[in-house]
Amino acid sequence: MTGIDTELYPKAETRHSQKSSAFKNAKKALRDERISGLTGAFLAFFILGHLVLESSILVSAKLYEDVAYFMEHTVPMAQPLIFIVTIVFFIHFVWAGRKIPGKLRERKMMLELGKKLKASKKGWQQDPKSDIKLRKHFETSMWITQVRTGMIVLATGAFHLFLVMWNIFTDMGVAGQVVGLTEEVATARVASGLWILYGVLMLNVVAHMAIGVYRLIVKWFADTWFVRNYAKALFYFLFWFYTILGTATVIAMAGPLEGILS
Amino acid sequence: MARTLTFKIFRYNPTKDNDEPHIETYELEETPRLNIFTALHRIREKQASDLMYDFVCRAGICGSCAMMINGRPTLACRTLTADLTDTIELYPLPFFKLLGDLSVDTGVWFHDMAKRVESWIHTQKEFDPTAVEERMDNDTANKIYESERCIECGCCVAACATAQVYPDFLGAAGLNRIGRFMFDPRDQRGEQEWFELVSTDVGVFGCIGMMACDDVCPKDLPLLEVFSYIRRKMNSGVQVAVKDLELS
Repeated sequence: MTGIDTELYPKAETRHSQKSSAFKNAKKALRDERISGLTGAFLAFFILGHLVLESSILVSAKLYEDVAYFMEHTVPMAQPLIFIVTIVFFIHFVWAGRKIPGKLRERKMMLELGKKLKASKKGWQQDPKSDIKLRKHFETSMWITQVRTGMIVLATGAFHLFLVMWNIFTDMGVAGQVVGLTEEVATARVASGLWILYGVLMLNVVAHMAIGVYRLIVKWFADTWFVRNYAKALFYFLFWFYTILGTATVIAMAGPLEGILS
Repeated sequence: MARTLTFKIFRYNPTKDNDEPHIETYELEETPRLNIFTALHRIREKQASDLMYDFVCRAGICGSCAMMINGRPTLACRTLTADLTDTIELYPLPFFKLLGDLSVDTGVWFHDMAKRVESWIHTQKEFDPTAVEERMDNDTANKIYESERCIECGCCVAACATAQVYPDFLGAAGLNRIGRFMFDPRDQRGEQEWFELVSTDVGVFGCIGMMACDDVCPKDLPLLEVFSYIRRKMNSGVQVAVKDLELS
């Protein structure tokens, strides 16, 4: 049998034989994505542990003291970790921030679309037996929230990192104390009015982290058993668990619960 | 009792002189199982004979009638007015070129996308029309089928905030198309070719995971699954691509 036109579709071209600029650009794009994702994952794990250890003050001041002593003196991991976290913090800002549109007009376009999609459920009163599936959508607004919380974390977090770096190596002038962080120093600092800053930082960092974990899982693992619904459930769990835990910790350190906890 | 529906429809004809974009209001009695597509027909018959909108199949197969219905990009023919509030706002899809009123040109963008991703099977094999077809395992065939179900309505791109800002971005439809050919064992494109095409800021790494495409897709395509597959393939494929280069 002949006469069938096999030339209908173009033949595959054998190009890309050299190290082309396209290949270099592709490698760069992959590297950028890896950097922003991995630094984000590292910081998320750090925050998960940090807030739990911090909340040891809810159990007792003694436990908090022991944890701090263990991490600074028994196994000195706090000192190197603070430098690592600070460096990763700024790397993450630069690489993850590359996705934020530069122009106000572009950001407004994104915001408007996000708002519209989020509000679109209100224009619908869907019958569960309806022909077309209608899911709530607020992930676009969530990303915008992440940009905003990220900026707040950048400002407040930088201050927090500096302060911790400062007093992890000094005795803060409290007489008779060992070098480093103690329960007394931490509580005094938060209670002196910095609870506003720590409260803001904690709420923003938790929201930023929970959304980031959700998006990271969906981006890389949505075709495995870890489907989007599980990732979303994890988001809700992380967000609420750490918000409640963090709020309780800040309140405990700020002082109003002193009589109850002591 | 039947409701009286209020339609607020975006009207603008770019070919007319002195026409400004504006909203016009129409009223229509609701009838059982009325969908937006039929409602638009009725409005055009009785109230606005110059109303422009696209339709072909009225069965959710052609993807022509996608529009913003109460703030959400979806198909007019598959949207029942019973699911909507009394006031229904209709806008054309953003991102695409406006032809007039609710009609947009999705074709040019999709054609361009197909050319960019070289949306055909790349093979050096000579076609033998007498040979028995090669067998393909069921999972692969299903994966290809799922991606192939895309009707090119453009809802995913219209809902994508990234696409609004970066017009070169391939969007969910483009990435889904790439996935379709990556799944296909007959396509002989190597790791390096895929890598150069996909691992870019207008390719899969342009996606920042806002998931609107997945939520609005009227055909419920497994978009996020396809993107994850592509991402991980790029992540692991880079070493293979580098090795290929060193050999060549």
